[in-house]
Amino acid sequence: MAQVLVVDDSSTVRNEVGDFLKNNGLTVALAVDGKDGLAKLQADPGIKLIVCDVNMPNMDGLTMAEKVRGELKNSTVNIIMLTTENSPAMKDRGKAAGIKGWIVKPFKGDAVLATFKKLAGA
Amino acid sequence: MDEATVVSKVLVLEDNKPSRDGIRKFCESHNLVTLRAQAEHVMSVLKSNVDLGGIFLAEAFDGKAQGGLVLARRIHAIRPELPIFLRREVLASFEGITDSDQKAFTAAYVLENIESLTTDVDRTIFSLTYPNALLRGITEITKAALESQFKELDTLVEKPFVVKDRLIYGEIYTLIPVEGSWCRGYMMLQADELDLMKLVKADKTHVDPLGAGDFRNLNGLLGEITNLIWGAFKNRYFTSTDKPIFSGQVPIVINHLHRYISFGSDNPQLCFKYTLTDKSDPGKSLQIHQRFVFNLSWSPEDFAENIVSVDDLVESGELEMF
Repeated sequence: MAQVLVVDDSSTVRNEVGDFLKNNGLTVALAVDGKDGLAKLQADPGIKLIVCDVNMPNMDGLTMAEKVRGELKNSTVNIIMLTTENSPAMKDRGKAAGIKGWIVKPFKGDAVLATFKKLAGA
Repeated sequence: MDEATVVSKVLVLEDNKPSRDGIRKFCESHNLVTLRAQAEHVMSVLKSNVDLGGIFLAEAFDGKAQGGLVLARRIHAIRPELPIFLRREVLASFEGITDSDQKAFTAAYVLENIESLTTDVDRTIFSLTYPNALLRGITEITKAALESQFKELDTLVEKPFVVKDRLIYGEIYTLIPVEGSWCRGYMMLQADELDLMKLVKADKTHVDPLGAGDFRNLNGLLGEITNLIWGAFKNRYFTSTDKPIFSGQVPIVINHLHRYISFGSDNPQLCFKYTLTDKSDPGKSLQIHQRFVFNLSWSPEDFAENIVSVDDLVESGELEMF
C-alpha cells in the first residue's frame, strides 16, 4: 500500500522524487504516464497523494486528474502537478479538476516535504 | 530588434602566410573564428569538428597548383553543407574551373579583394539574425536546467555560434519541437555517452550511480534536461494563445552510419556549447551541445519576451496551493 503515487514519463524524475519521498519516510508507487497512473490508483485505492507531470505520452496529467475525479469517482485523493508548464489556462483546467497545487520544475524536495507529508496523511 | 553577435568557426586551409594573415584579419572583423589545419590532417580535423560554419581554401593548397581543387572534391563529398570560399591568385571568379568542380564552392576571391566575400559570408553563414535577449535567455534557462540536474559542477558557456554542419556530436541526442507564433523548429541536445556516464557514476546527478551502466538512465537524464529547457523557453517566450501561422512539417532525416541529421533546411543552426566540470575532479567533464534549428519558420522581428509581474511570480520548485 503506497501513500504517494509519482506519475512522470521521465525515469529521472520518478527516481528523484520517489527516492526523496522514500528517504523521508513515505511509501511510494510509480507510474509512467496518465494511463498507468489511473491503473495504479485503481489497484491501490489507499493512495492519498498523487504527484503528477502534465506532458506525458498516452495520457497527459490534466486528463488523468479529470478521469480520477470523473471515471474513478475519487474525490479525496490529493493531486499536485509537478511540471514545466506555467500557463494560467492549464492551471485553471487543473483547478477545475480539483487539483490541490502546482509546482513548476525543477523539484526542490525540502521546500515541499512538510506539505506533501500532510497531504499524504503522514 | 537588438541583434546579437554570434560567431562561427571556419577552417582555414592556407599555406601562404600573408594570405593567412589577410584571411585572419577579414575573419576577425566578420565574427569568424579561425581554425587551421595542415594538409595531411584536414580530413581528421573535419571528422573531429562537427560545428563548422565554412572553409577558406587556397587553390594551390599543399604546394600543388590544383591541391585545393582536389581537396575540395573530397571535402564536398563528405560535407556538402559547408560553404567553401576559394582563394585564387589572379582571378576572382571560377574561370578555368570545371562546372563539376565549381559545385563545391560558394565563392572565389583574390586576397586583395577579400572584402567581396562579405555578402557571401552573410548569405551562407549569417543568414539568420537573433535577438540579443533570446541568446541571453537561452543561456540563462539552460544553465538553470543543468544546475538543477547536476551537483557540484562548474558550468562554462561559450559564446553562441552558428553552424552549417549537419553532424551529430556524441552518442546521445534529444530532439523537441519548439513552436510559437514567431518561430518554429527544434531544439536538440547532444552529449557524449561515456562522459555522461562518468558523472552519473561519480554521483553528480540525481540518477543512482549504480544505474550508470544502463544507457536508458542516461537517455532519461538528457531527456529531462531537454524537458526543463523546453518548458522554461515556452514560459518565457510564448503565450498560451500563440498560434503558429503555418503548421506544416518536414521530415527529419537521420543517417546513423554517417552521424548525419538534416532538418530539410540550408539555414545555419544556432549553437550553444556548455562544459560541465566536476569541481572536485576537473578531469571529469561533460560537453553538452545545444542547437536551435528554426527550420519551419523564423520571424525575429516578432520576438517577444513574457513580462511576469513580481506579484504573479512563483519561484520554480515552490508549491502554489489552490
